[in-house]
Amino acid sequence: MTNAIEVNNLTKYYDKFLAVDRIDFTVKRGEIFGFLGPNGAGKSTTQRMLTTLLTPSEGQILILGHDLAQDAYPAKRQIGLVPEESNVYTELTAWDNLMFTGRLYRMSKNSRKARAQELLETFGLWEKRHIKVESFSKGMRRRLSIAMAVIHKPALLFLDEPTPGLDAQSARTIQALIRQFSAEGTTVFLSTHQIEEANQLCDRVAIINHGKIIATDTPEQLKQTFQQVQSIEVSLAPLTENLTDKLAKLPDVNTVVKVADKWRLYTDDPSALLPHILRFSETQGLRIISLNTLAPSLEDVFLQITGGQIGVVQNPDTTKRRGKGRKK
Amino acid sequence: MSNLWLRISNEVAQAWTVTLKDIKVYYLRPGMIMFGFLMPFFMFFSFSVRREMAAEAGLARLLALTIFFTAAAAGPFIIPIERRLGTYDRLLAAPMSLFTLLMGKTAVGAFFAIVVASVAAIAGVLIFDTPVSQPGLLIIGILVGSFTFSTLGLIFGSIPTHNPGEVQMPSTLLRWGLLFISGVFIPLSEMSPVARSLAYLSPLTYAQDLMNFAVLGDSLLDPWLNLSVLLFTALLFLLPSFKLHQRGRVLGY
Repeated sequence: MTNAIEVNNLTKYYDKFLAVDRIDFTVKRGEIFGFLGPNGAGKSTTQRMLTTLLTPSEGQILILGHDLAQDAYPAKRQIGLVPEESNVYTELTAWDNLMFTGRLYRMSKNSRKARAQELLETFGLWEKRHIKVESFSKGMRRRLSIAMAVIHKPALLFLDEPTPGLDAQSARTIQALIRQFSAEGTTVFLSTHQIEEANQLCDRVAIINHGKIIATDTPEQLKQTFQQVQSIEVSLAPLTENLTDKLAKLPDVNTVVKVADKWRLYTDDPSALLPHILRFSETQGLRIISLNTLAPSLEDVFLQITGGQIGVVQNPDTTKRRGKGRKK
Repeated sequence: MSNLWLRISNEVAQAWTVTLKDIKVYYLRPGMIMFGFLMPFFMFFSFSVRREMAAEAGLARLLALTIFFTAAAAGPFIIPIERRLGTYDRLLAAPMSLFTLLMGKTAVGAFFAIVVASVAAIAGVLIFDTPVSQPGLLIIGILVGSFTFSTLGLIFGSIPTHNPGEVQMPSTLLRWGLLFISGVFIPLSEMSPVARSLAYLSPLTYAQDLMNFAVLGDSLLDPWLNLSVLLFTALLFLLPSFKLHQRGRVLGY
């Protein structure tokens, strides 16, 4: 069976600026593939090339076995696109938006009506189907935008940053829908900088930075690769002055990050660090409220790979870095 | 062969879908009413009031101005708005050719002009009792002229930008330029040879001459030559629209 997406040596220059630098990757049919990267890394540029909206400077794109440079038409029939901004027609009703999209994909009258009803009910918009979209909330527009992208039951769905800016309930609804599409056999290409979302949803992720793909694997495999970002999270009482600095001076601590009322101590060896923490609490007369050993999160891995600093919200003066350098 | 026929019928239906959607979404927008509906009447009354002119000549001029301004108003107004809102991506990513999309967009401006010109023509005939020499040719002229000038507007709509203001300015400048060198306000027969040579560069000249023949029964050029030039111009105007869309795909618009 052919892959859903095959990308070979894909390159994009904007004039002399290299936005995407000879990337290669494949997305298997049926998987949810996360495309992660910081702002300006090349995520949207790549997605626009994959959806025929942008002409590559070099390279080959195969969508469901069809070479976009040769004939994009059969590929276009089988893809759905949810861009970052909900591109719905606000002057039309939700129903009319769906009917328009159904006609554009040459669905029969009966099938587009039945599918529109099914989607509006699933997306919780059925009661508002005859209301103009201009009065819809951001979350409702987002759901409608996704409904328009899947009305023709695409084999491959592209989602660009589907949840930022939405309330928690809307974000969860959309995440549940993405899982549902995947369960129904749709391949999902999820472009996002919401690391936890990718962790929760994706079978595999690729991390892109400065136009280059620097890692591609399952979230769990990536976390295994970056064991140096293991940490111990400790909550101490009472809170005394300079506690962060004192914790940073403990042996085997790479970095200390204060997270709410807790401290996260990054280390290469949690078992070696643990006795030091216990001893520290005794000598300082502190009570340990909670103590947890944490495996690296996908966000930790992402920050390591992309050169971001763990705990960037922390005042750099109150953190200590030593041991292994950042992995490039 | 049947696959080809299916593809063609699909593309025609998709172009019509785009047209219907735009009619529903944009026809009553203030920008369309201003540039597409009020502008030709404003131009007509500005240059015709208090001047001795037969009703037939007035109707021919009004119709030429209407199809010119109204048809050319849609492209520069609609497409940049859609690019800014991201809805144009929905059309570009849909399974249809660029030609189909451009045809759908051309029809939007053309139908707007056909409706406004038809209302003007019917009012001229029924209310002002203006005789029309060649009704059949008048209908053909309105149809062809509307499509031609809509493709002119499409060129400006195809400029890769998200800002409608960047498109309106050059679009308006060119339309006014083509208007003033044309034979709308000064009949071709009264122009100096140099001015007449310049007038032949404006497609509006041929539309005006065609309307003169259809309404008055008199024109300087052969009406079929006028029609042929308008049809050829429509095809010619599609080329830069294609090129600009391709450029937009390279630049990321």
